Amino acid sequence: MSVQLLTSSLAILLQGLVTTVLLSVAAIAGGTLVGLVAAVLRSFGPWGTSRVAKVYIELFRGTPVLITLMFIYFGVSYFGYAIDVFAAGAIGLSIYQGAYIAEIFRSGIEAVPKGQWEVSQILGLSRPQTFAFVVLPQTGKIVLPPLVGQYLSLIKDTSIVSMIGMSELMHGGQAIVDRIGRPVEIYGLVALIYFVVCFPVSQWVRHHDRRRLS
Amino acid sequence: MSYQWLTLWGYAPDFMKAAWLTLQVTMLSFALAIALGLATAVAGVSPLRPLRFVARAYVEVIRNTPVLLQIFIVFFGFPSAGISLNAYWAGVIALGLNVGAYLSEVFRAGMASVPRGQIEAAGILGLSPAQIFVSVVLPQAARAVYPAIVNYLIQLLLGTSLLSAIALPELTGTATVINARTLLYIQTFAVTMVVYLVLSNLLSWLADQLGARIFHPPVAARRRTGFGKLTMRRVNRA
Repeated sequence: MSVQLLTSSLAILLQGLVTTVLLSVAAIAGGTLVGLVAAVLRSFGPWGTSRVAKVYIELFRGTPVLITLMFIYFGVSYFGYAIDVFAAGAIGLSIYQGAYIAEIFRSGIEAVPKGQWEVSQILGLSRPQTFAFVVLPQTGKIVLPPLVGQYLSLIKDTSIVSMIGMSELMHGGQAIVDRIGRPVEIYGLVALIYFVVCFPVSQWVRHHDRRRLS
Repeated sequence: MSYQWLTLWGYAPDFMKAAWLTLQVTMLSFALAIALGLATAVAGVSPLRPLRFVARAYVEVIRNTPVLLQIFIVFFGFPSAGISLNAYWAGVIALGLNVGAYLSEVFRAGMASVPRGQIEAAGILGLSPAQIFVSVVLPQAARAVYPAIVNYLIQLLLGTSLLSAIALPELTGTATVINARTLLYIQTFAVTMVVYLVLSNLLSWLADQLGARIFHPPVAARRRTGFGKLTMRRVNRA
């Protein structure tokens, strides 16, 4: 592959990388929020919201992310509205990853000994206060490594949004291959860019996650 | 409303065929993933440095790149190396390669969970390294890793949806075709979701049954992200 071709491809791919990063950040924020809410509802939700949260978690953990994305992207247009593909991707990934993140938060919440709830009650803290000031701070420490691990798979999942037409890193690679061929070099380059982004994150997770199985 | 669902009912045979194809691809690539995972897990602790390096590089490269990209490299890139595969086999190989890397890590952790003392004791009792592996390490490691393996089986099942990108008519591919033909977006994808839910719950139920039969005492394979019984000591520090 000529140097000129390499540099011009790299420019397109790096542009795609910017979108990938933006989408990842949006979905990480959204997914964490959705996951936290779902986990709290799942553990303490009143009036059947606990069951709703459970159904939500089971539903998205048992279906592919691609279906979620298509559902949102096409579903919105079914009702006569148009949705920006970035928004569809960010919402879809947030909802999908939220289900996995909820389970991570829930196991973190459950890892805090029950006795602490009782002690806090005796000390006069309300349940929301106990959750916010006693349980949640400890949960943060426990869940961080698996949470970052989930973020890593979210970053890789942003490539799937290319299938509903989003021009991010993966889509940039496809566009170049469609134009000039050379799938090995171009996809190799795309793989290298993903690797450079993901490798430090996965190394961090590897050194902090004590839960090696599951 | 109901006539729309009736229209979709007409596509029931297509959904059935697609579900069967999805299961086929899942099972074949899972078999490949188990084989690759075991081989690279063993290679990763071998005394030969190049072998260790290859196993390690394989795991890291696969785990840090998206599976969709891996599918594209196998389907579009391998022909440059003279290996032309149809969508079916490209999908099986790409997903097998992908999940194999994750299983490699799981197997490595599983093997490391068997206390070293047992291996030394077995050696003193006169068992060969192969015998130690087969009769001491493997049965205990299998038990420890079973729930994690089932988890990856489900992930693999869901991952087959990406093969629609290389035009394999599995569930998602079929759904997009039906979607384009009927324009019943909501209904089509709702039905597809239900089929995936049935398949994933069926597989995890079957795995549960199997786990209860082959292990003594029984192992429950229910998927969990939790910090339950699977907390294991650190294994990845060389």
